[in-house]
Amino acid sequence: MGLLALGTALDWPEAKEQAHLVRSWGIKQLLAIWSKAKGKERDAMLWGDEVEYLVVTYSKDDPKVLLSLRQADILDALENDKALCGTEKCTPVLPDGSSYQAHQAPPVFHPEFGRFMLEATPGKPWGIEFRELLEVEPNMKLRRYIAKDHMLPNEYPITLTTFPQLGSPGVFTDPFYPVSGSRLRSQFVPDEIANPHIRFPTLAANIRSRRGRKVQVNVPVFRDEKTPWPWRDPTVNYDLHQWPEDDDVRNGAAPDNFIHMDAMAFGMGSCCLQITFQAKNLTEGRQMYDQLSPLGPILLALTAATPIYKGFLADTDVRWNQISKAVDDRTPEELGEKNDRWRIPKSRYASNSTYISEDSRLRPEYLDQDLVIDEEIKQQLLDGGMDDRLATHFAHLFIRDPIVIFAEDLQELDLNKTDHFENIQSTNWQHMRFKPPPADNSIGWRVEFRPMEIQMTDFENAAFTVFIVLVTRVILSFNLNFYIPIAKVDENMETAHARDAVLTRRFHFRRNLFPATRARSSRGSNSGASTPVTSRPPTPTGPVDDEHRPMTVNEIINGTAYARSTSAAASASASATTTPGHPAERGQDHDDDGGEYFPGLIPLVESYLDAINIDVATRCRLATYLDLIRRRASGELWTAARWIRHFVATHPEYRQDSVVSERVSRDLVEAVIQVGEREAAGEGFAGMGERLALGSLLGGR
Amino acid sequence: MAKLILSTGNIVSGGPSIIRKPGAYRSNLELTNSLRSNFLAAQQDFAAAELRSNGTATPTSNGDAGGPDLDAETGGRPSASVWTAEENGVLYVPRIDWPEEGLQEEPAQYNITVKLFFLPTAPVSKRPQYAGEALDLVLKELGAPAVDLFIVSFPGMSFEGDCEWEADKQNSAQGNDEEEIAAWSAVEELHRRGLAKKLGLAEFGSEKLGRFLQKVQVRPTVDQINLKNCCNVPPPLAKLTKEQGIELLVHSDCTDILPKGTLRDLLGPGLGGAGILADPETGRGGLHGDLSPQWVVKYTAVVRDRGVIENKGYFAGAELVEG
Repeated sequence: MGLLALGTALDWPEAKEQAHLVRSWGIKQLLAIWSKAKGKERDAMLWGDEVEYLVVTYSKDDPKVLLSLRQADILDALENDKALCGTEKCTPVLPDGSSYQAHQAPPVFHPEFGRFMLEATPGKPWGIEFRELLEVEPNMKLRRYIAKDHMLPNEYPITLTTFPQLGSPGVFTDPFYPVSGSRLRSQFVPDEIANPHIRFPTLAANIRSRRGRKVQVNVPVFRDEKTPWPWRDPTVNYDLHQWPEDDDVRNGAAPDNFIHMDAMAFGMGSCCLQITFQAKNLTEGRQMYDQLSPLGPILLALTAATPIYKGFLADTDVRWNQISKAVDDRTPEELGEKNDRWRIPKSRYASNSTYISEDSRLRPEYLDQDLVIDEEIKQQLLDGGMDDRLATHFAHLFIRDPIVIFAEDLQELDLNKTDHFENIQSTNWQHMRFKPPPADNSIGWRVEFRPMEIQMTDFENAAFTVFIVLVTRVILSFNLNFYIPIAKVDENMETAHARDAVLTRRFHFRRNLFPATRARSSRGSNSGASTPVTSRPPTPTGPVDDEHRPMTVNEIINGTAYARSTSAAASASASATTTPGHPAERGQDHDDDGGEYFPGLIPLVESYLDAINIDVATRCRLATYLDLIRRRASGELWTAARWIRHFVATHPEYRQDSVVSERVSRDLVEAVIQVGEREAAGEGFAGMGERLALGSLLGGR
Repeated sequence: MAKLILSTGNIVSGGPSIIRKPGAYRSNLELTNSLRSNFLAAQQDFAAAELRSNGTATPTSNGDAGGPDLDAETGGRPSASVWTAEENGVLYVPRIDWPEEGLQEEPAQYNITVKLFFLPTAPVSKRPQYAGEALDLVLKELGAPAVDLFIVSFPGMSFEGDCEWEADKQNSAQGNDEEEIAAWSAVEELHRRGLAKKLGLAEFGSEKLGRFLQKVQVRPTVDQINLKNCCNVPPPLAKLTKEQGIELLVHSDCTDILPKGTLRDLLGPGLGGAGILADPETGRGGLHGDLSPQWVVKYTAVVRDRGVIENKGYFAGAELVEG
């Protein structure tokens, strides 16, 4: 809990008064770090992953699974266990027989918004030695093992994105608390659902206050054969009169055919998998930020794992928009419902709105033409020596108000800290985050890749983590160009929400990742210490819209050749399990576009690996990771969302009415726990039963 | 008799030739495609440069291949003298403007690996000379004083067969131990001179490797193998390399990386050829004689701590015996 300094958090009216001060101090702190760090060079490629867990209570004989709210106790147990890095427990023999490597620093556990959540990171950052890539999965298993070891016997850390019963009527937490508290004013979840540290309830309350009403998290319900239609969320209570916000639902907050949720916990209570990379310098960091950005929606679709909310099947597969709505603090004016200084088109949690590199391949047409920025702040940054493009980026992030302000921090400006800058920066939750070095300049410029959903097993989480790490090396080595207009990335982010988007949807993607003609005299890519000089900067020609075309995830990940050979199989498997619904959504994956060639990310990664010295065992392990991703992309294997839908659809208690009952949820969590125990023990999944269909999720493991 | 040095330049950001095609798990496509694309780029670049200095541009020239300086003798390509260069009896295809600085950072920041392919078409006795020539070219190209790992690939060796055990057995009888050990002593010399910090082999199975280790002075630290299903390392090989502290690395190159016919096609007058060789039918336009490949060297420079490939390319040596 060290990161979360205690203090007196201001309620919204007072916080609003101080917003301008925080922004202006934040910009001063940013400029201080900018002038210190802009010339940093040759930082090593270090990186880290973050895994988030739900903590549930489960026992074989208990008909209910609940969210455990003992986060603080568990973190205390972890913190106080000196033996964690002492002698005996430091080298536990894991259930699969492997032992914890002594040279590994013990993992670090962090609190999260949800009081039922836990986050774990490796004890020290990873490097790019290939053997280190193989330590990721054992380290993730170790984290899970240590977490479990500090819980009660009936508590389990699981990696589902959301808890299926969160917010449904009745008891879903342990201990139970009544709903409709003063901070969240939610009719579905108690205030105690949030981490009790003052920062979190204040965050939720001030978002609600600033917005002038509760957040509205409405997700379309999945229409199954027996789902009543139009569907009205049966859990919405229209007769509450405790808080002014109880009027929200009477004023149309809960439209037909949507699952209605009304609190930050429904979004920020989701678990995801995030990776942060250290760049060698500012230029490379900006390049990685831009080039990874168009991959965000693709990886979101590929990791889709969120088909259930509040006990109902949703018609979307991912968490993204729900989080976006759950922290949407925009005022009616900013939403464009009334006139104001500016209308803000996106929530603070949304896909990226800027490209930030000074790459000559970045055409002005790619940028968001309607980007809202604070001109005054931009001018301050320009005056402080920042270039236009980066100044624009931060002047865009700084259109937001700080939400949580501690009175103690407003006494004097400390330029040896970055707290005010981080206050705004870290409450802009875009799908990439560009992170300046900390105030002491001890580490480098970093880029965080944030769109991926957490997967049920550590094998899968390691596979996606390692894949993205390799993709960054491929981007830098081959100097790939993924640029498409930001508006198209936004569109792709929406597309990624569709049920089975991997199989049924196409995403705008750049057709040619390489320069049109080969620059013969160009010497190398830009791995060098200094900012590279391209001897022959490519002159962009032709309409921007000709540079990209709609592609399936299969084409993007595996290349057109592989996609063609597998699309028949994939569409067959799609129609086999696609429940009736929207026929228009099917059949979109059939035709290919006149055979245009696209290499695919996995063949590019393999070309990279071919050029590197790798030992046999490492390459074999990496191959299993790439194989998982290849088959997920082609539809040969299912996404987690599809697997969960299958679990529900084939459960004897499911009535084809979109309702995921307590019993079904319990059994789902039980299955997840059992899979986790098998994985921890290093056992395969054979014999867990046909109905579980783990082979369809994980392949023949 | 004339000598030719073919080069690809840095292929790492060169586009499609670096991409492994599905099904082409083990192929020389990367070499042949990148040679071809480098020839084409050189023809365009140098011809265009020539054109600008001569001022003989035709107004309709659109810069596509064969636009300027059309030469009927070479099938519409710019003449070889424009884009190749002869120095001390060696014809460089294309000509090379040696860089002042090869790599962007000082050489110590890189892990440089070189793999030399001895070819079946070349005389065994010249292998020491080839090794020196090839390494010189790489060091000059990268502006580095030494390479970190120098891997030698001998012709006629492979792991074939469905069962990896079987592959390891068959391997025992492949190649020619004596010739390989003789060549190795030249490679050892490069190591002694400090030009190659570590040495490595490719495609040595357990029995061959065992015999080899007994006869050499500088031991290989690496054995590169190609396995269809890479997870089935033949147990005897796994055991031996573990005992001997030799790293088993993976590769996906083919051993006969530049067959004679392929080279002829690359340089010949036909479609997709560079037009260096004369048309055998008409006898016009280019060099005459019998061209045989002698060696190929692949080099890769990877930035330490960052895993970024900054430079990768090939040189190939060939000899033309005038007929």
